Amino acid sequence: MFAFSKEAEKKIEKILKKYPEGRKRSALLPLLTLVQRQERHVNPDAMREIGRRLDLSPAYVQSVCSFYTMYSNKPVGKYLILFCINISCQLNGCDELLAHTAKKLNIEIGGTTEDMKFTLHREECLAACSGGPMMRINDTFYENLTAEKIDQILGSLD
Amino acid sequence: MADDQVTLTIDDQTVSVPKGTKVVDAAKSVGIEIPVFCYHEKLGPLGCCRMCLVEVEKMPKLMTACTMDVGPDMVVKTTTPKVEKAQKGVLEFTLLNHPLDCPVCDKGGECPLQNNTFKYGPGDTRMDFHRAENLKAGPLSPVITLDRERCIACQRCTRYSEVIEQDNALVMHNRGFNNEVGTFNNEPYDTRFSGNVIDICPVGALTNSQFRFKARTWDLTNSDTLCAHCGCNCNMTLGVRTNKFMRIEARPNDLVDDGWICDKARWGYDFLESKNRLVEARTVPDNGTMVFSSPTTQDAAVRTAEAIKKIVDEHGPESVGFIGSPYGTNEELYLYQKLFRLGFGTNNIDHKTYADSPGLPIDHYDVSEIETADLVLVIASDPTEELPILDLRIKKVVTRHGVKLAVLNDQATLMDKYAHLSLRYNIGSDAGVFAALTAAISGEGMADIKTTGIKADQLKSLVEMLRASKKVTLIYNSSALTGQSVAVLKQLMAMIKNIPSIECGAIPAVPHTNAVGAMDMGILPDYYPGGVPVADGEAIQQTWGETAPTQPGLSAMEMIRKAESGELKALLVYRANPVVDFPGGKQVEEALKKLDLLVVHDMFETETAKLAHILLPSNGPGVDDGTTTNIGGRVQFRKGGLKTAHPPDWKIISLMANTVSEEGDGINYITSFSVTDEIAKNVPGYAEISKKSIKKEGMTRVSSASINATGAVSKESSPPKPEALKLRIANYLFAHNTILDATSTLAHHFKPSIVHMHASDAKKLKLKNEDDVVVVSGDTQVSAQVEISNRCNPGGVVLPNISDEQGVWGLANSRDSVTWVEIRKV
Repeated sequence: MFAFSKEAEKKIEKILKKYPEGRKRSALLPLLTLVQRQERHVNPDAMREIGRRLDLSPAYVQSVCSFYTMYSNKPVGKYLILFCINISCQLNGCDELLAHTAKKLNIEIGGTTEDMKFTLHREECLAACSGGPMMRINDTFYENLTAEKIDQILGSLD
Repeated sequence: MADDQVTLTIDDQTVSVPKGTKVVDAAKSVGIEIPVFCYHEKLGPLGCCRMCLVEVEKMPKLMTACTMDVGPDMVVKTTTPKVEKAQKGVLEFTLLNHPLDCPVCDKGGECPLQNNTFKYGPGDTRMDFHRAENLKAGPLSPVITLDRERCIACQRCTRYSEVIEQDNALVMHNRGFNNEVGTFNNEPYDTRFSGNVIDICPVGALTNSQFRFKARTWDLTNSDTLCAHCGCNCNMTLGVRTNKFMRIEARPNDLVDDGWICDKARWGYDFLESKNRLVEARTVPDNGTMVFSSPTTQDAAVRTAEAIKKIVDEHGPESVGFIGSPYGTNEELYLYQKLFRLGFGTNNIDHKTYADSPGLPIDHYDVSEIETADLVLVIASDPTEELPILDLRIKKVVTRHGVKLAVLNDQATLMDKYAHLSLRYNIGSDAGVFAALTAAISGEGMADIKTTGIKADQLKSLVEMLRASKKVTLIYNSSALTGQSVAVLKQLMAMIKNIPSIECGAIPAVPHTNAVGAMDMGILPDYYPGGVPVADGEAIQQTWGETAPTQPGLSAMEMIRKAESGELKALLVYRANPVVDFPGGKQVEEALKKLDLLVVHDMFETETAKLAHILLPSNGPGVDDGTTTNIGGRVQFRKGGLKTAHPPDWKIISLMANTVSEEGDGINYITSFSVTDEIAKNVPGYAEISKKSIKKEGMTRVSSASINATGAVSKESSPPKPEALKLRIANYLFAHNTILDATSTLAHHFKPSIVHMHASDAKKLKLKNEDDVVVVSGDTQVSAQVEISNRCNPGGVVLPNISDEQGVWGLANSRDSVTWVEIRKV
């Protein structure tokens, strides 16, 4: 069974206050984000719980959840690497760097390391074209990447 | 020309339509077809499939005709080379991943994609790549098959779920390039109205599992018929092939069903081929008088008439009686009351166990009047479980037309979610609430409402809501009221009518298919057809002749009591099952056993049929023709579809009538419409009803005026024991009974027996959720599981009637007062 953590409950209280009466469905994305951060994925139990709180059908919650790549249906690693493969990054050689990262972590693109530390995903444009090639690890952007820089970044995370 | 009309030109034709009409509908109104997939007039515009592109003068690009409102002097062209090229392009895209399995697809022959491709599409495709492979024919629910390869993602079904059924059970997952129709966590899509997505799917992605691979659609013989399950009388098409039932589809009639049917209408017709059907007449030797064992129905009918006549001759007309059914057609019921009144000289005729009388002190509103009201007041009715299509209509007007909804009920229903004001009175205190409301409206001040469970300010809000409304549509279920409180309710109606600023009408929402018709046809001990009271001797003799009885007869419950005491000798029960459906249970069975003659005329081997001396089979809906009158008073024709050599009920009844007629052969009706014509002649309010007048959309009959009903608020009965609770028997749409039997396609909807309790009562009785208990009244027990749902106020329990076997009506002694029950843990 899914339950929000105490900290999450406090945040939910604040989030729900932002929206006027009868508009609480607007809190859907913030609540999904809380679940993703808490559980590192959004499972059906959590969707049902969000639906209950926001008076939405669980199917509707799932239909929203399945649109956004920031929400995943199976647990992701402690560090979620979103590697931009859009045009600017691609022109600057992101394909090789992505392959390098996968090899370094010894996983397929889209996979998670066995120790549940890293998950590697392709991602469409993350709006940092001036700094391409780039990747996002959890909430941090890393720009102007090179293979060495990637090794160093991955090594610095524990 | 009125301001709200817009005139435009479509393909050189001048069209004038109301403002706000979409171009696609404007074109349709003059016979110009603009092809569509995603657009459906009941769902409103979306514009995702791009099939409806048209050229509009002064607009640089092609426009989607389904999203564009008409504008004055707009010039629309639907067949230019530019449009045709676009249509070809759109279809080529739509067909990119669509499999070419039309030869084995159930939609073939009635498929918009097939039709549009044939008319507007390219003959070829440039798609050289692999087509997407996807789920092929998996179950979306036990009754719907989903083929994701065929889906063109038009979103009609998901929008139906959102806009019409409003439960968002069916959604688009993975929005974007990989979007697909699905449910939450792949759970079955098994709502009450799920089947409508089959009708609106423009491809073969959603198909009826029951009909799958049974027949090609063009081989079906389709009958325009009505549903026989509830008082809505939704229009539907019955598809038959080689005299076998194939499928049911909705047949839109905005005045009745708004284009939809519920799943019970679509899949609740397995009874046509039920093992439990009564197929041949049977007589049981009784004191040696009935000697022949396997008679024809005609023989048995003649013997029935002779045997009842003999009892009348020996013991007088008051010794025989008729219990009819609110499920019979007007013709069948009309003929039966005529047989008993004129043939046997008795008014011992009834069809119900609750109190109600024909006529209303206010207008009898048609169902469509819900749309033009500004307040809908639902009283003691649970549309979702009793009259499902009403549920969709109410949701629609509340969420989309800004109509206000007030609910006055003793149990929680799904309507509460949509209500602007929802008041819950204590079980059994309905009369008190109506009287208090009447007093409040008349300005007599607040009556004592302490015992009703409703607070003074709540009642005041309801009065304010009423007073602020211009047009009120009242929906009430008299079969869910206690004692004589329907009469108090009618006084309330008369009081609302007296407010000069309010236009007010009512829809009597008794769930049974032809409950309104049964009252109109005089299946009542104290009223002749058309609401003519038996006391009105002059009017009766004018229509029915000198010999027509004018003494009030026995009600259904009185007939059972007189059978018990031996005063009633013979009873004919027509398509009713008193042993299960009447209050009393075992006592009813014992009483019926005491009869000298019990004739049961039914479609099924019911518990009552098992006691019968003579059994007459009835063909029933799907086979016999006839008219029924829906809750809105609309008379429509229910055509049979399946053929049989067995005589229809109206023939069986008229054979009985002719047997006892003193004028020899009596009347010979040629078709069911011959009876309809006689109804038009003899039943006030039905004068305009004829084969022709009801052909298209049916026709509302004229409601009779109500005789000033007097009903006093009876004193609250006190509990026999301190821990006793008041019982409310609720309806459940998919109850397991003779209609939906164990082999029913809808068996997945069957529910266990649940007793709904208020938390405070459960605490007192030390009960918790899922405790196994028995609900006890006298010698009768019903097993159930506890659900602490606060579905009613403290002091009561709600027990949904989920199956015949459960036997909830055995708990009640009568409908005269509230039933007290005890909840005992087992």
